[in-house]
Amino acid sequence: MSFLNLTAGELIALFGTVSAVVFTLYLLDRSRRKQVVPTLRFWRHAETNTELRQRRKIQQPWSLVLQLISMALLLLAIAQLQWGDLMQTSRDHVVILDTSAWMGARTARGTLMDEARTSALAFVRALPASDRVLLLRADGLATPVTPLESNHAAVERAIRASEPSSSALNLDQAIDVAVRAQAGQGRKRGDIVYVGSARVAATEGVTSTLPGNLRVLPVTAPVENSGIRKIGLRRSRTETDQWDVFVSVRNFGLKERVAQLALQFGGAPIGSRTLTLKPNADQETTFAFRTKAGGLMEARLLDGDAFQEDNRAVLEVPAQRSLRVVVYTEEADPLRPVLGGNPRVTAQFRPPSAYEAAPDADAMILDRFIPTAPPKLPSIWIEPPAQRSPVRVKATVSKAKLSRWNSDHALGLGLRTKDLELETAQIFTPASGDIKVAETDAGPVIVGRPRTDTQPKLIVLGFHPVRSAMKYELATPLLFANALRWVQPELFLHWELNAGTVGTVEMAIDKRTNVEAVRVISDTGKAVPYTIDGDQLRFFAGTPGTVRVIAGDRESVYSLTLPEVGITAWAVPERVRRGIPSLGVQGSPVKDLWPWLAVLGGLGLLTEWLLFGRGRRAARLARVPARARQKVLQKRAS
Amino acid sequence: MARTSDDLLIDRKLLEKLERLTVRWRKSFAGLVGGHNLSRFAGSGQEFLDHRHFHQGDDLRAVNWRAYMRLEKLFLKMFQIEPRVPVRLMLDVSGSMRTGEIDKFLYSRRMAAALCYIGLVRLDTICVQPFSDHLHDSFLCGGGRHRFVPALEYLSKLEASGPSNFLEVTRQFVANYPQRGLLIVISDFLDDGDSGKALQYLADFGHELMLVQVWADEDRTPPWDGELDLEDAETGAKLELTFDASAREDYARQFDEYCDLLERVALRSGGRYVGLSTAQSLEDAIFGPIIQTRVVQ
Repeated sequence: MSFLNLTAGELIALFGTVSAVVFTLYLLDRSRRKQVVPTLRFWRHAETNTELRQRRKIQQPWSLVLQLISMALLLLAIAQLQWGDLMQTSRDHVVILDTSAWMGARTARGTLMDEARTSALAFVRALPASDRVLLLRADGLATPVTPLESNHAAVERAIRASEPSSSALNLDQAIDVAVRAQAGQGRKRGDIVYVGSARVAATEGVTSTLPGNLRVLPVTAPVENSGIRKIGLRRSRTETDQWDVFVSVRNFGLKERVAQLALQFGGAPIGSRTLTLKPNADQETTFAFRTKAGGLMEARLLDGDAFQEDNRAVLEVPAQRSLRVVVYTEEADPLRPVLGGNPRVTAQFRPPSAYEAAPDADAMILDRFIPTAPPKLPSIWIEPPAQRSPVRVKATVSKAKLSRWNSDHALGLGLRTKDLELETAQIFTPASGDIKVAETDAGPVIVGRPRTDTQPKLIVLGFHPVRSAMKYELATPLLFANALRWVQPELFLHWELNAGTVGTVEMAIDKRTNVEAVRVISDTGKAVPYTIDGDQLRFFAGTPGTVRVIAGDRESVYSLTLPEVGITAWAVPERVRRGIPSLGVQGSPVKDLWPWLAVLGGLGLLTEWLLFGRGRRAARLARVPARARQKVLQKRAS
Repeated sequence: MARTSDDLLIDRKLLEKLERLTVRWRKSFAGLVGGHNLSRFAGSGQEFLDHRHFHQGDDLRAVNWRAYMRLEKLFLKMFQIEPRVPVRLMLDVSGSMRTGEIDKFLYSRRMAAALCYIGLVRLDTICVQPFSDHLHDSFLCGGGRHRFVPALEYLSKLEASGPSNFLEVTRQFVANYPQRGLLIVISDFLDDGDSGKALQYLADFGHELMLVQVWADEDRTPPWDGELDLEDAETGAKLELTFDASAREDYARQFDEYCDLLERVALRSGGRYVGLSTAQSLEDAIFGPIIQTRVVQ
């Protein structure tokens, strides 16, 4: 006789607690109750008759006994009482079913997963009916799918529902979980059965201290395979319309292979390479293509091998937008080379009479005029008339020497001039929060104002850069470039797109990057946990998806959709048992009693309620007044 | 539908049925012409009855002078006597009326309201006299059906509390109301004193008794079992005892014997008795047991 769910001690403790509660409730139910009655004259007579007859605390002992017996039966049912020596006959097995990405590889008989499922089902069917089985799906993580289950049909259903995932096998972790699952069950340990092709991730090994009850059902795997490991896209540093593509391909097999790598963008081919892949080695290659448009870029290995899932990768390339600037000026020619030199800027020149407060653009430049309505876009003001300048003009000076640039701010980053003397310049009185970009000895001559609730960003120049001595300086186009980057920084982000495998991702970041401003977000917009160690940023993606990393002026998009293929083939030691054991199907020597106990317990409680329940008492007593009244009325009528 | 703030609700249909009823009594009371209906004897009433020849000593104010002018004979106009039999309704407002799952006090007040309505419709005057261990302030209910709302308001404002003392109440009642008449007593008659003796005294004094005993089912057959800690609703006296089915039978027998005693007191003096359970609806009670007693017809 044994209990499946509770130990004998737990059962006794539980029954003791339940009995105490039932007994207390029983006494409370039958305790002396207070009643207010209209008179005591009839009660006094009843008292003399009953007091001698009853002085018992427990007035309905059979009710209590019935309740306690029923509770005991129900507790035994919960404990799943079984008749027979379970310890000697039944064992606990753990089936580790390999669901790593490699199990999706095809053979002549189907996929490796099909073979693994067949082997696992054969093992479960070979077990005696009383043996319990726990199914563990093993890939990058070990996930128990069923508890230790004596219902083999449920285990078989879970095996059939198992599919390959995207991560590589972590066999050590799976074996550790299996050993822990078997421990502390108080039963005879069965086998820990690994079913799979035993290809583990490059970073994972297999421990040398394997459990003695480990059994392997190997799945014959093809060895020749090559696949895309990584793709990287970034904008060219020199050509704005150009994307540089980096592709890494690995030959997982033992023979040298020749594979054709083809790239397409928006369905059109953009390049191809013939790669000679050395056995068990990576090979990288680069491509370049020009486009401003957005679309899907697909890399494909035109090589028929067993595992097709890693032969194709797709990346979504964003459209390259340029900054649209409207310049309101009477003299467009001096400004054209300044703005035209920046390939990411599209300038449109209009006369001041065509001024609109909110034109269809990203920013505007106001050259020496004051608009009728304040602009609703970020704006750059060049020599505004002093009376209505957005930043108050303190004075207008002549022969002002430009003495200092604010190189610490993005607006003044990299700007230098030497002995630059301005013919005339407006000296501003900056407000609180304004940024002094360039200063003379008399005061600031270029001021930036960050965005407020009511006003977009603006920059005011107290002199005309291309009409002054500064027009010959390199600082002039850089000043405009800085100003435009400051007003719309998101358009000037450095893009980097990567396609890789799920798991841990590492990326290098600039050491000067503000760590507080780093954001790592998933495609659902949720923050992904990450760590920064020196110039390395790490994060983990357990499921396929897209992760976006924004660090400083750089945005990296990781399309983690490539399957992680195990690189190392685990050599199963000789001492490890193999194949399906010949245990034979035994008839169950253990009888489950809990259904009968549950039924008996329920019937006991029902009987107690029918015989002694409060409702029953009330119903029995409610009939008495009716009889008495009828008797009286009949008496009156007669 | 007549209703007050204390849920003293009487359905309109029931009121319409009550309009067909009349409060009646059997006895002839000293100093009054008996019977309920207008007397067939002439007297100083409002309603014309007949003419007769004038005799010496007759009241000249009753001579029909128009007939004398025409016939030159003196005829006297005779009028119907309007009897003044007092109908008094004693309503128990002691604390015991508040016990029971269905409120006996509310039931009794609804019964009193119904009887008042019957009287008002027939232009009778009913004196509602609440009592517990003494007589409370009474209310004279008369003047037609439009006076029913004040009667309801008076009944709704009554509170049940304190002990009952029938002997003391009887003594005060006899002293306050020397004129005999129909006396309807609505009570549970559950006090620790000898209420039978007090009622007998009222009957011997000459009142026609109509005893309406109202009880809750718990009063007749207590539904509880086991150890009981009982408290008298009126006196606060306490009693602990063990109660079972056998004791319940003893209790019920005692209760029935007490009811029989009350009935005997009523019947012996020409009165009537009716016992009502609060489980019985008011309409069933009036048009069943109460009509059978012929206090209302």
